[in-house]
Amino acid sequence: MNKKTKQKLAFLLFRLFSIIIVGILLSILGFIAFNGIKVINWEFLSTMPKEGMTEGGIFPAIVGTCYLIIGSLIFAVPLGVMSAIYTVEYAGNGKIVRFIRMMTNNLASIPSIVFGLFGMALFVTKLGFGDSILAGSLTLGLLTLPIIIRTSEEALKAVPESYRTGSYALGASKLQTIRKVVLPCAMPNILTGIILSVSRVSGETAPILFTVAAYFLPNLPDSIFSQAMALPYHLYVLATSGTDIEASRHMAYGTALVLVVIVLFFNLTATILRQRLSRKLKNK
Amino acid sequence: MIETKNINFYYGSFQALKNISMKMDANTVTAFIGPSGCGKSTFLRLFNRMNDLIDDTKLEGECLIKGKDIYDKSINIDALRKDVGMVFQKPNPFPKSVFENVAYGLKVNGITDKKFIANRVEETLKAAALFDEVKDKLNKSAFELSGGQQQRLCIARALAIEPSIILMDEPASALDPISTSKIEELIHQLKKKYTIVIVTHNMQQAARVSDKTGFFMLGELIEYNDTKKMFLNPDNETTQNYITGRFG
Repeated sequence: MNKKTKQKLAFLLFRLFSIIIVGILLSILGFIAFNGIKVINWEFLSTMPKEGMTEGGIFPAIVGTCYLIIGSLIFAVPLGVMSAIYTVEYAGNGKIVRFIRMMTNNLASIPSIVFGLFGMALFVTKLGFGDSILAGSLTLGLLTLPIIIRTSEEALKAVPESYRTGSYALGASKLQTIRKVVLPCAMPNILTGIILSVSRVSGETAPILFTVAAYFLPNLPDSIFSQAMALPYHLYVLATSGTDIEASRHMAYGTALVLVVIVLFFNLTATILRQRLSRKLKNK
Repeated sequence: MIETKNINFYYGSFQALKNISMKMDANTVTAFIGPSGCGKSTFLRLFNRMNDLIDDTKLEGECLIKGKDIYDKSINIDALRKDVGMVFQKPNPFPKSVFENVAYGLKVNGITDKKFIANRVEETLKAAALFDEVKDKLNKSAFELSGGQQQRLCIARALAIEPSIILMDEPASALDPISTSKIEELIHQLKKKYTIVIVTHNMQQAARVSDKTGFFMLGELIEYNDTKKMFLNPDNETTQNYITGRFG
């Protein structure tokens, strides 16, 4: 075989594999969309489950997931952004910072079920929150902390040093410089990280399994100490342990579609935001 | 206005400044010239303690501004930097509007009166010979201005907080000749109110704008003299060689 044929053959293979991958992805999405779209209507999105989850809607699971997203952000965003500010702006590059950074990276690679167990031990049992939105939000918050810290760190590092020196030279303190120059400039990138963490939170099942998720609740949660239903866990229930699995199959596909659309929506927002920002920076 | 006594400055174990003593008078323009890496920028950054931002540095000697040692423990660095403004080599406006760029220094120094701020912004933009060019763009991003306009905006930003000294670190080295001449004209104007210290690579520029010139080499102050004398008839042979372009 000569060089040219070899090259052609190799490229053909590369192309084939990438087509296969895109094909797999599209067929998963297509399969869910095809099966799910049939049950999607206003009733499905806005009412409680009925008839042993074979009829009705998934409203409480959507609400529960929204609560968990908000709850985890309230906890993880200030904590994550502030710790990123500390490591980038204040702490220099000493041993402690490198240790913190290493721990953050390790935190990111812990399996989510371990977070679930930890959350159960600490928030549910030790701190006595019980199975609750609070315990679930805190557990999910822990899970997303590394994402938020890392993206915030990168965002802060991307702010040109000349902005900081320019600000100091005008008599601004370090805190003023961070608040009025560095943070506003880093905000779009920090937001991207936050949105990515939202898409992570909305899809995670393991961390909420032992900390918040309910099989079925007749009412919507009324406080942060209530249990809640959530989309990923509801999907798991519908697919594996409903009263009549075959009869609730269509509901499971509908739930999966809603979940996928939510995650895709957040990822798309993050992508658009990032592109806008890089365009803005290029214009400079 | 500014006086240094036996300044030695180290980056780690590297000695960047060697035993420098000099005096700069109020309402004069002093230029620092010398080959790259001679320490002139380092020396300039001592006066508003910008070198504090760099790790692992050491200073010996005294640096007095208006008779006070600015490296004394009782000195408030933010207040010092308010009084000793700085313009950098590359224009570095904030990613904010033209107006906000000039107002920034006022705001961080505790001024909240909106009318006062608006008046001061206009005044300083005029003082920086920029107002006519940007009066319709005050709310546009500072990045929409040309490089020369951005640099004059940075000068306006420094003027807004009414410093008594302005340090300029090669303020025109990133600009085209027309923008450069505008900056030089501006320096002439500003001299009436401010004490200016300028680092420059461009000897013609030093000759044009300054009253006194200091020639630095390898961390030492080789000669410090009236600019006219320095360029026509320097005392030191090394200075002569540098100015006439025999090295550097």
